[in-house]
Amino acid sequence: MTECKFEDLIDEYLLNTLSEEKRNQFEEHYFNCPACFQKMAERDDMITAIKWKGHEIFSDLMKEEQTRKVAVWDRLFGFMAPRQWALTAVSAALVLVVTFGVIPALKTQSPQFTLDDHQTRGQSITLISDSIPSRFEWQKMENAWEYKIEIDNHDPLWHKTTNNNFVILPDEIKHKMKTGVAYSWQVKAFSRQGILIAESSKIQFFIPEK
Amino acid sequence: MGELVNDAQSFYNVRTVERPNIEHDLDAIIAKYRPIVSFRVKKSLGSYTPDWEDVVNEIMLNAIEKLESGKFRGESSVGTFIYTITSRRIIDHIRKKSKSLKYAPEPNPFPQPQEHVENKERAEMIARHLEKLKPKYKEILYLYYYKELSRDEVAKKLDISPRRVSERVNYAQKLLKKMMKK
Ligand SMILES: [Zn+2]
Repeated sequence: MTECKFEDLIDEYLLNTLSEEKRNQFEEHYFNCPACFQKMAERDDMITAIKWKGHEIFSDLMKEEQTRKVAVWDRLFGFMAPRQWALTAVSAALVLVVTFGVIPALKTQSPQFTLDDHQTRGQSITLISDSIPSRFEWQKMENAWEYKIEIDNHDPLWHKTTNNNFVILPDEIKHKMKTGVAYSWQVKAFSRQGILIAESSKIQFFIPEK
Repeated sequence: MGELVNDAQSFYNVRTVERPNIEHDLDAIIAKYRPIVSFRVKKSLGSYTPDWEDVVNEIMLNAIEKLESGKFRGESSVGTFIYTITSRRIIDHIRKKSKSLKYAPEPNPFPQPQEHVENKERAEMIARHLEKLKPKYKEILYLYYYKELSRDEVAKKLDISPRRVSERVNYAQKLLKKMMKK
Protein backbone atom coordinates (compact mmCIF):
# COMPACT_ATOMS: atom_id res chain seq x y z
CA MET A 1 0.00 0.00 0.00
CA THR A 2 1.50 3.34 -0.98
CA GLU A 3 1.44 6.08 1.58
CA CYS A 4 -0.40 9.26 0.85
CA LYS A 5 1.55 12.42 1.60
CA PHE A 6 -1.44 13.85 3.45
CA GLU A 7 -1.36 11.04 5.98
CA ASP A 8 1.07 13.00 8.12
CA LEU A 9 -1.58 15.63 8.73
CA ILE A 10 -4.09 13.26 10.34
CA ASP A 11 -2.88 13.72 13.91
CA GLU A 12 -2.51 17.46 13.65
CA TYR A 13 -5.96 17.72 12.14
CA LEU A 14 -7.57 15.66 14.88
CA LEU A 15 -5.70 17.58 17.58
CA ASN A 16 -6.62 20.92 15.98
CA THR A 17 -3.10 22.17 15.52
CA LEU A 18 -3.19 22.81 11.77
CA SER A 19 -3.30 26.31 10.36
CA GLU A 20 -6.63 27.21 8.83
CA GLU A 21 -5.25 26.91 5.33
CA LYS A 22 -3.78 23.48 5.90
CA ARG A 23 -6.90 22.34 7.67
CA ASN A 24 -9.05 23.32 4.72
CA GLN A 25 -6.68 21.57 2.34
CA PHE A 26 -6.73 18.44 4.39
CA GLU A 27 -10.50 18.49 4.71
CA GLU A 28 -10.89 18.76 0.99
CA HIS A 29 -8.37 15.97 0.64
CA TYR A 30 -10.15 13.44 2.81
CA PHE A 31 -13.36 14.03 0.91
CA ASN A 32 -11.38 12.74 -2.05
CA CYS A 33 -9.08 10.13 -0.52
CA PRO A 34 -10.81 7.09 1.02
CA ALA A 35 -7.49 5.76 2.37
CA CYS A 36 -6.85 8.90 4.44
CA PHE A 37 -10.44 9.03 5.62
CA GLN A 38 -10.29 5.43 6.78
CA LYS A 39 -7.04 5.97 8.63
CA MET A 40 -8.31 9.14 10.20
CA ALA A 41 -11.52 7.49 11.40
CA GLU A 42 -9.49 4.75 13.09
CA ARG A 43 -7.16 7.27 14.68
CA ASP A 44 -10.12 9.32 15.85
CA ASP A 45 -11.60 6.26 17.56
CA MET A 46 -8.35 5.73 19.40
CA ILE A 47 -8.01 9.36 20.45
CA THR A 48 -11.63 9.50 21.61
CA ALA A 49 -11.03 6.47 23.82
CA ILE A 50 -7.83 8.04 25.15
CA LYS A 51 -9.51 11.36 25.93
CA TRP A 52 -12.47 9.69 27.53
CA LYS A 53 -10.78 6.89 29.43
CA GLY A 54 -7.24 8.21 29.70
CA HIS A 55 -7.34 8.46 33.48
CA GLU A 56 -7.94 4.70 33.55
CA ILE A 57 -5.66 3.68 30.69
CA PHE A 58 -2.73 5.67 32.02
CA SER A 59 -3.40 5.51 35.74
CA ASP A 60 0.00 3.89 36.40
CA LEU A 61 1.86 6.57 34.42
CA MET A 62 -0.06 9.32 36.13
CA LYS A 63 0.73 7.97 39.54
CA GLU A 64 4.41 7.83 38.68
CA GLU A 65 4.30 11.40 37.48
CA GLN A 66 2.62 12.54 40.65
CA THR A 67 5.35 10.96 42.75
CA ARG A 68 7.98 12.77 40.71
CA LYS A 69 6.16 16.04 41.12
CA VAL A 70 6.00 15.63 44.87
CA ALA A 71 9.73 14.96 44.91
CA VAL A 72 10.40 18.21 43.06
CA TRP A 73 8.10 20.06 45.42
CA ASP A 74 9.96 18.61 48.40
CA ARG A 75 13.30 19.62 46.95
CA LEU A 76 12.11 23.16 46.48
CA PHE A 77 10.27 23.62 49.72
CA GLY A 78 11.59 20.90 51.94
CA PHE A 79 13.68 23.41 53.86
CA MET A 80 10.53 24.84 55.36
CA ALA A 81 9.07 22.92 58.27
CA PRO A 82 5.31 22.40 58.34
CA ARG A 83 5.02 24.88 61.18
CA GLN A 84 6.62 27.53 59.11
CA TRP A 85 4.04 26.86 56.44
CA ALA A 86 1.34 27.41 58.99
CA LEU A 87 2.96 30.69 59.97
CA THR A 88 3.17 31.75 56.37
CA ALA A 89 -0.52 31.27 56.03
CA VAL A 90 -1.61 33.70 58.70
CA SER A 91 -4.18 35.46 56.61
CA ALA A 92 -5.82 35.09 53.24
CA ALA A 93 -4.24 38.32 52.08
CA LEU A 94 -0.79 37.11 52.91
CA VAL A 95 -1.45 33.80 51.25
CA LEU A 96 -2.38 35.64 48.09
CA VAL A 97 0.91 37.46 48.10
CA VAL A 98 2.82 34.28 48.77
CA THR A 99 1.15 32.17 46.16
CA PHE A 100 0.88 34.68 43.37
CA GLY A 101 4.14 36.36 44.13
CA VAL A 102 6.59 33.66 45.08
CA ILE A 103 5.60 30.67 42.98
CA PRO A 104 5.90 32.30 39.54
CA ALA A 105 9.25 33.77 40.54
CA LEU A 106 10.51 30.37 41.58
CA LYS A 107 9.31 28.91 38.34
CA THR A 108 11.46 31.20 36.28
CA GLN A 109 14.47 30.61 38.50
CA SER A 110 14.20 26.90 38.37
CA PRO A 111 14.15 25.42 34.91
CA GLN A 112 13.82 21.93 36.37
CA PHE A 113 10.54 22.94 37.80
CA THR A 114 9.13 24.34 34.57
CA LEU A 115 10.46 21.44 32.61
CA ASP A 116 8.66 19.08 34.89
CA ASP A 117 5.30 17.84 33.84
CA HIS A 118 3.51 21.08 33.74
CA GLN A 119 4.30 22.87 30.59
CA THR A 120 1.46 25.07 29.48
CA ARG A 121 -0.42 23.77 26.49
CA GLY A 122 -1.69 26.12 23.84
CA GLN A 123 -2.23 29.63 25.05
CA SER A 124 -2.04 30.39 28.69
CA ILE A 125 -5.05 31.33 30.79
CA THR A 126 -4.65 34.09 33.32
CA LEU A 127 -6.06 33.21 36.70
CA ILE A 128 -7.76 36.09 38.46
CA SER A 129 -9.53 34.82 41.57
CA ASP A 130 -10.59 37.50 44.01
CA SER A 131 -10.76 35.54 47.21
CA ILE A 132 -9.60 32.10 48.11
CA PRO A 133 -11.04 29.60 48.40
CA SER A 134 -14.75 30.09 47.73
CA ARG A 135 -14.67 31.76 44.34
CA PHE A 136 -12.19 30.97 41.58
CA GLU A 137 -12.07 33.17 38.56
CA TRP A 138 -9.96 33.30 35.42
CA GLN A 139 -9.71 35.27 32.24
CA LYS A 140 -12.15 34.42 29.46
CA MET A 141 -10.82 33.11 26.18
CA GLU A 142 -12.39 33.92 22.89
CA ASN A 143 -12.31 30.49 21.31
CA ALA A 144 -13.08 28.48 24.43
CA TRP A 145 -16.35 26.66 24.62
CA GLU A 146 -15.99 25.42 28.15
CA TYR A 147 -13.54 25.37 31.03
CA LYS A 148 -12.56 22.68 33.42
CA ILE A 149 -11.24 23.69 36.81
CA GLU A 150 -9.38 21.15 38.88
CA ILE A 151 -8.44 21.45 42.51
CA ASP A 152 -6.06 18.99 44.04
CA ASN A 153 -3.60 18.45 46.82
CA HIS A 154 -1.56 15.49 45.75
CA ASP A 155 -4.70 13.74 44.62
CA PRO A 156 -7.54 15.27 42.67
CA LEU A 157 -10.00 16.80 45.12
CA TRP A 158 -12.66 18.36 42.96
CA HIS A 159 -13.30 19.39 39.38
CA LYS A 160 -16.03 21.12 37.52
CA THR A 161 -16.77 21.93 33.93
CA THR A 162 -18.45 25.20 33.17
CA ASN A 163 -19.15 27.74 30.43
CA ASN A 164 -18.54 30.59 32.84
CA ASN A 165 -15.17 31.98 33.76
CA PHE A 166 -15.62 31.38 37.47
CA VAL A 167 -16.86 28.74 39.89
CA ILE A 168 -18.06 28.81 43.45
CA LEU A 169 -16.58 26.05 45.55
CA PRO A 170 -19.36 23.95 47.10
CA ASP A 171 -19.48 23.86 50.88
CA GLU A 172 -19.03 20.11 51.13
CA ILE A 173 -15.69 20.43 49.36
CA LYS A 174 -14.64 23.37 51.48
CA HIS A 175 -15.31 21.30 54.56
CA LYS A 176 -13.06 18.57 53.26
CA MET A 177 -10.11 20.94 52.95
CA LYS A 178 -7.65 21.18 55.80
CA THR A 179 -5.71 24.15 57.04
CA GLY A 180 -1.99 24.17 56.44
CA VAL A 181 -2.23 21.80 53.46
CA ALA A 182 -1.01 22.93 50.05
CA TYR A 183 -3.74 22.82 47.42
CA SER A 184 -3.49 23.85 43.84
CA TRP A 185 -5.96 24.93 41.22
CA GLN A 186 -5.73 24.91 37.50
CA VAL A 187 -8.02 25.72 34.62
CA LYS A 188 -8.16 24.09 31.20
CA ALA A 189 -10.07 25.45 28.25
CA PHE A 190 -11.71 23.24 25.68
CA SER A 191 -12.90 23.94 22.20
CA ARG A 192 -16.34 23.04 20.94
CA GLN A 193 -14.95 19.68 19.88
CA GLY A 194 -13.71 19.00 23.36
CA ILE A 195 -10.07 19.45 22.44
CA LEU A 196 -7.83 21.04 25.02
CA ILE A 197 -6.80 24.45 23.71
CA ALA A 198 -5.32 26.20 26.69
CA GLU A 199 -4.20 25.57 30.18
CA SER A 200 -3.33 27.82 33.09
CA SER A 201 -0.35 27.24 35.27
CA LYS A 202 -0.99 25.49 38.57
CA ILE A 203 -1.37 27.90 41.43
CA GLN A 204 -0.80 26.78 44.99
CA PHE A 205 -2.90 28.03 47.87
CA PHE A 206 -3.51 27.34 51.56
CA ILE A 207 -6.48 27.58 53.82
CA PRO A 208 -5.54 30.04 56.54
CA GLU A 209 -5.93 28.93 60.14
CA LYS A 210 -8.59 30.79 62.05
CA MET B 1 -35.00 14.14 9.57
CA GLY B 2 -36.28 10.73 8.51
CA GLU B 3 -38.26 12.56 5.89
CA LEU B 4 -35.21 14.03 4.33
CA VAL B 5 -33.61 10.66 3.88
CA ASN B 6 -36.75 9.23 2.38
CA ASP B 7 -37.07 12.14 0.00
CA ALA B 8 -33.51 11.73 -1.06
CA GLN B 9 -33.96 8.06 -1.60
CA SER B 10 -37.19 8.23 -3.54
CA PHE B 11 -35.67 10.98 -5.61
CA TYR B 12 -32.78 8.76 -6.35
CA ASN B 13 -34.85 5.65 -7.04
CA VAL B 14 -36.86 7.40 -9.71
CA ARG B 15 -33.75 8.71 -11.39
CA THR B 16 -31.82 5.48 -11.48
CA VAL B 17 -34.75 3.70 -13.03
CA GLU B 18 -34.67 6.27 -15.78
CA ARG B 19 -30.92 6.43 -16.17
CA PRO B 20 -29.31 3.33 -14.72
CA ASN B 21 -25.87 4.18 -16.02
CA ILE B 22 -25.45 7.78 -15.12
CA GLU B 23 -21.98 8.70 -14.13
CA HIS B 24 -22.97 9.75 -10.65
CA ASP B 25 -24.56 6.73 -9.18
CA LEU B 26 -26.42 8.44 -6.36
CA ASP B 27 -26.75 5.38 -4.19
CA ALA B 28 -23.02 4.88 -4.25
CA ILE B 29 -22.47 8.58 -3.64
CA ILE B 30 -24.68 8.53 -0.55
CA ALA B 31 -23.00 5.40 0.76
CA LYS B 32 -19.56 6.81 0.16
CA TYR B 33 -19.95 10.39 1.33
CA ARG B 34 -22.45 10.21 4.16
CA PRO B 35 -19.84 8.94 6.65
CA ILE B 36 -17.35 11.58 5.51
CA VAL B 37 -19.88 14.40 5.75
CA SER B 38 -20.96 13.08 9.16
CA PHE B 39 -17.40 13.06 10.40
CA ARG B 40 -16.79 16.60 9.22
CA VAL B 41 -20.03 17.91 10.72
CA LYS B 42 -19.47 16.20 14.06
CA LYS B 43 -15.94 17.51 14.23
CA SER B 44 -17.08 21.08 13.64
CA LEU B 45 -20.28 21.15 15.64
CA GLY B 46 -19.44 18.60 18.30
CA SER B 47 -21.29 15.32 18.44
CA TYR B 48 -23.29 16.58 21.39
CA THR B 49 -24.98 19.12 19.16
CA PRO B 50 -28.35 17.44 19.06
CA ASP B 51 -29.13 18.37 15.46
CA TRP B 52 -25.90 17.32 13.80
CA GLU B 53 -27.68 14.51 11.97
CA ASP B 54 -30.20 16.93 10.53
CA VAL B 55 -27.35 19.04 9.23
CA VAL B 56 -25.82 15.97 7.57
CA ASN B 57 -29.14 15.07 5.95
CA GLU B 58 -29.60 18.58 4.63
CA ILE B 59 -26.13 18.54 3.12
CA MET B 60 -26.67 15.17 1.44
CA LEU B 61 -30.04 16.24 0.08
CA ASN B 62 -28.64 19.50 -1.19
CA ALA B 63 -25.75 17.70 -2.89
CA ILE B 64 -28.05 15.18 -4.52
CA GLU B 65 -30.38 17.87 -5.78
CA LYS B 66 -27.50 19.74 -7.33
CA LEU B 67 -26.07 16.62 -8.94
CA GLU B 68 -29.51 15.73 -10.23
CA SER B 69 -30.39 19.10 -11.65
CA GLY B 70 -27.15 19.22 -13.57
CA LYS B 71 -25.76 22.15 -11.57
CA PHE B 72 -22.65 20.12 -11.02
CA ARG B 73 -20.75 19.98 -14.28
CA GLY B 74 -17.69 18.15 -13.20
CA GLU B 75 -15.49 21.23 -12.85
CA SER B 76 -14.15 19.54 -9.72
CA SER B 77 -14.30 16.03 -8.31
CA VAL B 78 -17.54 14.94 -6.65
CA GLY B 79 -15.59 14.83 -3.38
CA THR B 80 -14.57 18.47 -3.63
CA PHE B 81 -18.08 19.43 -4.69
CA ILE B 82 -19.60 17.82 -1.60
CA TYR B 83 -16.80 19.20 0.56
CA THR B 84 -17.69 22.73 -0.56
CA ILE B 85 -21.39 22.27 0.19
CA THR B 86 -20.53 20.81 3.59
CA SER B 87 -18.18 23.64 4.56
CA ARG B 88 -20.72 26.31 3.62
CA ARG B 89 -23.51 24.63 5.49
CA ILE B 90 -21.36 24.30 8.62
CA ILE B 91 -20.40 27.98 8.55
CA ASP B 92 -24.09 28.89 8.22
CA HIS B 93 -25.01 26.67 11.10
CA ILE B 94 -22.36 28.09 13.41
CA ARG B 95 -23.34 31.64 12.51
CA LYS B 96 -26.97 30.97 13.34
CA LYS B 97 -26.11 29.06 16.50
CA SER B 98 -23.71 31.62 17.92
CA LYS B 99 -26.56 34.13 18.00
CA SER B 100 -28.52 31.93 20.37
CA LEU B 101 -25.48 30.51 22.13
CA LYS B 102 -26.42 32.09 25.44
CA TYR B 103 -29.33 29.74 25.74
CA ALA B 104 -27.57 26.65 24.54
CA PRO B 105 -27.60 23.73 26.98
CA GLU B 106 -24.42 22.80 28.85
CA PRO B 107 -22.39 20.52 26.66
CA ASN B 108 -20.71 17.41 27.91
CA PRO B 109 -17.42 18.08 29.66
CA PHE B 110 -15.34 15.84 27.44
CA PRO B 111 -15.41 14.52 23.92
CA GLN B 112 -17.78 11.80 24.96
CA PRO B 113 -18.14 9.03 22.49
CA GLN B 114 -21.48 9.87 20.92
CA GLU B 115 -24.65 9.15 22.80
CA HIS B 116 -25.07 5.81 21.04
CA VAL B 117 -24.40 2.85 23.25
CA GLU B 118 -22.37 0.96 20.68
CA ASN B 119 -19.94 3.88 20.35
CA LYS B 120 -19.46 4.02 24.09
CA GLU B 121 -18.90 0.29 24.20
CA ARG B 122 -16.41 0.62 21.40
CA ALA B 123 -14.46 3.32 23.21
CA GLU B 124 -14.58 1.20 26.34
CA MET B 125 -13.20 -1.79 24.46
CA ILE B 126 -10.44 0.27 22.85
CA ALA B 127 -9.49 1.59 26.28
CA ARG B 128 -9.24 -1.94 27.70
CA HIS B 129 -6.94 -2.93 24.84
CA LEU B 130 -4.77 0.14 25.20
CA GLU B 131 -4.30 -0.64 28.86
CA LYS B 132 -2.61 -3.87 27.84
CA LEU B 133 -0.02 -2.25 25.57
CA LYS B 134 3.63 -2.30 26.53
CA PRO B 135 4.80 0.73 28.57
CA LYS B 136 6.79 1.97 25.59
CA TYR B 137 3.59 2.45 23.56
CA LYS B 138 1.40 3.58 26.40
CA GLU B 139 3.82 6.28 27.33
CA ILE B 140 3.88 7.74 23.86
CA LEU B 141 0.09 7.70 23.56
CA TYR B 142 -0.14 9.35 26.95
CA LEU B 143 2.21 12.19 26.08
CA TYR B 144 1.05 12.74 22.54
CA TYR B 145 -2.72 12.34 22.76
CA TYR B 146 -3.66 12.63 26.38
CA LYS B 147 -1.33 15.45 27.38
CA GLU B 148 -1.16 16.76 23.83
CA LEU B 149 2.53 17.52 23.83
CA SER B 150 3.76 18.35 20.34
CA ARG B 151 5.58 15.71 18.36
CA ASP B 152 8.88 17.51 18.94
CA GLU B 153 8.28 17.78 22.66
CA VAL B 154 7.51 14.07 22.87
CA ALA B 155 10.63 13.29 20.85
CA LYS B 156 12.77 15.36 23.19
CA LYS B 157 11.26 13.82 26.27
CA LEU B 158 11.79 10.26 25.08
CA ASP B 159 15.09 11.04 23.41
CA ILE B 160 14.05 9.73 20.00
CA SER B 161 13.57 11.47 16.66
CA PRO B 162 10.24 13.11 15.77
CA ARG B 163 9.95 10.70 12.86
CA ARG B 164 10.29 7.84 15.33
CA VAL B 165 7.45 9.31 17.41
CA SER B 166 5.08 9.01 14.46
CA GLU B 167 6.29 5.52 13.66
CA ARG B 168 5.77 4.37 17.22
CA VAL B 169 2.29 5.87 17.38
CA ASN B 170 1.40 4.23 14.08
CA TYR B 171 2.68 0.94 15.37
CA ALA B 172 0.59 1.26 18.53
CA GLN B 173 -2.42 1.83 16.30
CA LYS B 174 -1.53 -1.29 14.34
CA LEU B 175 -1.29 -3.33 17.53
CA LEU B 176 -4.66 -1.99 18.61
CA LYS B 177 -6.21 -2.99 15.30
CA LYS B 178 -4.83 -6.49 15.71
CA MET B 179 -6.23 -6.80 19.22
CA MET B 180 -9.62 -5.55 18.04
CA LYS B 181 -9.80 -8.26 15.42
CA LYS B 182 -9.37 -11.04 17.92
ZN1 LIG C 1 -4.77 10.69 1.22
